[in-house]
Amino acid sequence: MIRCIGRCSLLALLLVLVQPATAAAAAVGELAPDFALPAATGGNVRLSEHRGEVVLLAFWSSRCAVCATQLSRLGDLQTTYRSAGLTTLAISVDDDISRAARFARAHPVRFPMLLDLRKGVSRAYGIERLPTTVLIDRRGRVRFLQSDEYGIDNSYVAQLRELLDDPL
Amino acid sequence: MRTAISTWQPLAPVVLAICLVAPWVRGAEPPATPGSAPAAVAAPAPAAAAGGSSSAPAPASDPAGEGGTRALDEQVQDLKQQVVDLNKDLFVLEEELLFPANTQVAVFLSMDVGAFFGLDSVTLRIDNREVINYLYTPRETAALLKGGVQRLYIGNLKAGTHELVALFGGKGPNDRDYRRGASIKFEKGVGAKYLELKISDRTRRQQPEFEIKDWE
Repeated sequence: MIRCIGRCSLLALLLVLVQPATAAAAAVGELAPDFALPAATGGNVRLSEHRGEVVLLAFWSSRCAVCATQLSRLGDLQTTYRSAGLTTLAISVDDDISRAARFARAHPVRFPMLLDLRKGVSRAYGIERLPTTVLIDRRGRVRFLQSDEYGIDNSYVAQLRELLDDPL
Repeated sequence: MRTAISTWQPLAPVVLAICLVAPWVRGAEPPATPGSAPAAVAAPAPAAAAGGSSSAPAPASDPAGEGGTRALDEQVQDLKQQVVDLNKDLFVLEEELLFPANTQVAVFLSMDVGAFFGLDSVTLRIDNREVINYLYTPRETAALLKGGVQRLYIGNLKAGTHELVALFGGKGPNDRDYRRGASIKFEKGVGAKYLELKISDRTRRQQPEFEIKDWE
């Protein structure tokens, strides 16, 4: 009996210790945290204004070597699937705004390059490595979170098309 | 607000359950159970039998079936309306609980004309503490220019004298970066306090004007 109580309390303790870590990282299935960020080219963008569209968030940094390649690939995806309802937002986690703006100018893409200077958005999405992409469905729920530099492959596109095919 | 939504989110199943139970509680007739529902659908069966033909009309063209579907659709719409009403009541209740009238302070923002100023951001400080930094999208600015009034901030303050500082950022005359501030000292009494930030054009000086009004 005492052993059973001991095991239960140990399990409870483990659950309490593990919960905060999983809650911060596992945003999949939950409503995507809303945000408004300034774009490198001027103006602001708010996520909730894109409800009803499939939104692809791409977190990048000017110090990330593979981010430029990935942004270019995402630019192609945006061009292909824009008419189907895809909106891509690239979010910089750079500390230096001028560096991020230089990077954005050097790698022109057909979607807004946003600046998360306070790191509030990257914290809200639990971004731990770069590049990371987040796919949000038309109802505003996080559906896929991928932290893989080689992640934009056929299976990724299939996931994206699945979301685009899903009506509101 | 996200925190508030997440606070109520666990209540969603309870709310749905209340909505489902509500008609019985009010003494309304319970909706037909799946077992009893075919009564309307089964009505044309004798007619088909009388005809003695196996080519019975399709259920889709059955007027009784259509009526049943319509009734079900009305029930669904009614249920949706009840959920919306309940959500509204819960929202009001939430506001009353989180921001009681004796401590409530709300700040609103409105724009008039806007030819000399393109709003980009507003930072609010109350008693030297930043309470909100709001970025405006073109769509939000357009809504304000059409006469919309935005509740920029709602919070709690104890009775006494307080200072509100508002910093406005955006594009000024000749599309140049423009930052201006405005401040007000106000007295918080026992009732709710409402303040309005008003951005208007001063045509004579070709400059925007920033004003903080105290709604008595």
